[in-house]
Amino acid sequence: MGPSFFPGPAVFWLALSLPVYAADAHTTDSLHLEPAWLTLGHYQPDTFGDGHTSQADDPDFFLSDQGKHSPKAELDATLAAIQRPGSGDHHAQCRFPARTTWLDQQLDLDLPTVPCPAYRDWTETLNTETVTLVFAASYLNSPSSMFGHTFLRLDPPQEDEETNLLLANTISYAADAAAHDSEILFAYKGIFGGYPGITTVQPYYEKIRLYSDIEHRDLWEYRLNLSQPEVDLLLAHAWEIRDHNFDYYFFDENCAYRLLALIDVARPGTDLLAEVSTHAIPSDTVRWVVDKNLVSEVYYRPSAATSVAYSLDSLTEEQQTLAAAMANGYVAPSDPELQQLSARQRASVLDATYDYVRYQSEADGWPRELAAPLSHDLLVARSGIEAAPAPETPPQPAIRDDQGHDTFRASVSAGQLAHREFTQLTLRPAYHDVLDPPAGYRPGAQLQFLRLDARYYTDNDELQLEQLIGVEIRSLSPRDQFFSPLSWQVGFGGRRTDTGDRRVLTPYLEGGAGGSWLLGQQLQAFAIATADLEIDDDLHRGYDAAPGADLGLLHQGTRFSLLAGAKTKAWIVSNQHRQDQVYIKGNWHLGRDFSLFAEFTREDHYDRYQSTWQAGIHAYF
Amino acid sequence: MKKLIAGVMLLGASSMAFAQPGCGVGAMIWKGQSGIAPHVLAATTNGTFGNQTFGMTTGTLGCQTNEAVQSMALYMDSNIDKVARDMSRGTGENLDTLAVLLGVDAADRDTFRQVLQDNFASIFPSSDTTSGEAVDAIVAVLEKNESLSKYVAA
Repeated sequence: MGPSFFPGPAVFWLALSLPVYAADAHTTDSLHLEPAWLTLGHYQPDTFGDGHTSQADDPDFFLSDQGKHSPKAELDATLAAIQRPGSGDHHAQCRFPARTTWLDQQLDLDLPTVPCPAYRDWTETLNTETVTLVFAASYLNSPSSMFGHTFLRLDPPQEDEETNLLLANTISYAADAAAHDSEILFAYKGIFGGYPGITTVQPYYEKIRLYSDIEHRDLWEYRLNLSQPEVDLLLAHAWEIRDHNFDYYFFDENCAYRLLALIDVARPGTDLLAEVSTHAIPSDTVRWVVDKNLVSEVYYRPSAATSVAYSLDSLTEEQQTLAAAMANGYVAPSDPELQQLSARQRASVLDATYDYVRYQSEADGWPRELAAPLSHDLLVARSGIEAAPAPETPPQPAIRDDQGHDTFRASVSAGQLAHREFTQLTLRPAYHDVLDPPAGYRPGAQLQFLRLDARYYTDNDELQLEQLIGVEIRSLSPRDQFFSPLSWQVGFGGRRTDTGDRRVLTPYLEGGAGGSWLLGQQLQAFAIATADLEIDDDLHRGYDAAPGADLGLLHQGTRFSLLAGAKTKAWIVSNQHRQDQVYIKGNWHLGRDFSLFAEFTREDHYDRYQSTWQAGIHAYF
Repeated sequence: MKKLIAGVMLLGASSMAFAQPGCGVGAMIWKGQSGIAPHVLAATTNGTFGNQTFGMTTGTLGCQTNEAVQSMALYMDSNIDKVARDMSRGTGENLDTLAVLLGVDAADRDTFRQVLQDNFASIFPSSDTTSGEAVDAIVAVLEKNESLSKYVAA
């Protein structure tokens, strides 16, 4: 800790640093309804009635007993408390520096001088000049992070080239889950409530280790153009909420949501929270922040996985083989195969091999007895090569994650099912499927949430719910000589199923696992073993189950995406019968906002053939 | 810069807990706390060096009086693999971070990188090298260099 001791009164200091707002001489009568006050108290209008309720779930966040439901009572209590003489970290001025500043500006108070050593130490330690919003790209393999994650980095003054952002601190908001909770319990409590949300401060390098090295998520850094007073206010409010419980929900009151509130406090009038309707998907929240002109600069930090894939790609085919042989222990760094290369080439091969071994140790849990001595040999060999450049960093993708298509999709289409004509309306609140415009999303990754398909059959004027997807996740990651990820899928919801004489709406659960392989730059083939379960009293025994397979091709291009293949399912419980399908689906992308789509399915079920075709348009917004 | 280093040392993994470092104890507190969702943080790394045990305790560095060296030790403890990687290449942001923590002037940076790359094998003699041992070795290497010894003087 620096030895400096700030001599002046904390409030005076705060007031000095926050001269941004016109000091309207409000009366206290209407002050509690000012948007800035409501934001500071995390008040939201009640659904019924004209009152307000705070989202804070911790009595200590309020100075009034009625604080949770009464912005006015809280404002009166705060006003009284901050004007009380006293000292120490428990004084209201010290506990609520952002409120104090704002009220002082509004009312031009003659506040008593209250030193706040803990708060002062905290802000001095954080030493923040600018704030950067960091977005960790989505990561399908964990429900806790499938939508991506956002946090704030507190950047110190860039005085000289010595300043190193790895050491900067970050503020993030996350669910405080118990260590023993499983992923499934985590998902359940995350959606329906049950976890307290907490604010944490950590150095940026810890975050990099987690997201970039362990979870293989690219990081996007959006430097915000907040002024110093705005930054100070943001920190002051972070101090106010830091130890207080706000219930955490995946979809709305999540990491991104709480950060938006911090930015709203920093720059009143921004009103980012007003953008949140049913859910705050981190990539969407980044979009709003960009749209509100809050971003001055964007920086891309590729994950360890992205970097190692790029390093391996930069090697020639022979060097790749050599790298694979070294990683698998067939060739040692001292062997002639390596020594015959030029120093520069040798450095590239050693670097790529080391990064690959590190990656495999993290991702595939290569045993330490194997990975550690090998890694050490590679590094020692590499340290003997001087003046060879470090591997190039992967280039920034042409389209950032926040520049991909919007996540809400509405579609209209017309089609035919076994010669019955229908029109269909589909609404999908989130998020992306493999046929949507691929830019800004992970290749081969799909996450659909609460998709609803309604069909209107014109021949008998019948409106039918065709399907309702609860959640559908699909991850098709190609395998090659270096990486062997599993492709998998899981989903549940309700769908029309054929019982032989009619189509009934049936709850279902489905899953699958397999592999996929790259055939070209944007083309992959996949083979998935599937399992389906349907439960309905219209089924002969009340339920039915089917092992099956899905073989197909997926092309994801900037103009055109295509999915084609063959599926087979063997229903084995209620009616023993096969269901075979060939399908082809294509989307033609018209920029970011629209796609035209068409699909055709030919099915053999109960010994009869049936075709379905459909064509229409998707709009993203 | 000094403030930033202090910030790194003092701001623990927990919700803004303050812990005073010194003779290993502060470092233990600093290291031991975590309050974030374990699903996010529990993933442990399968490291190259030191078997990912708490390396600090096995070095003699616990009672090093040089604050900059202590900062470096804390950083090394979380980032030993990445520091080793950068050191073997003689370049990289983690190596630069060591230089920042030690307060190495811009004019001495190239020498700093070069000397550490040249002495890689003595700083990391085996894959069992702990971060504490590596820090001790770095200090020893820098002490021998005329222009770099001032940064690690006790």
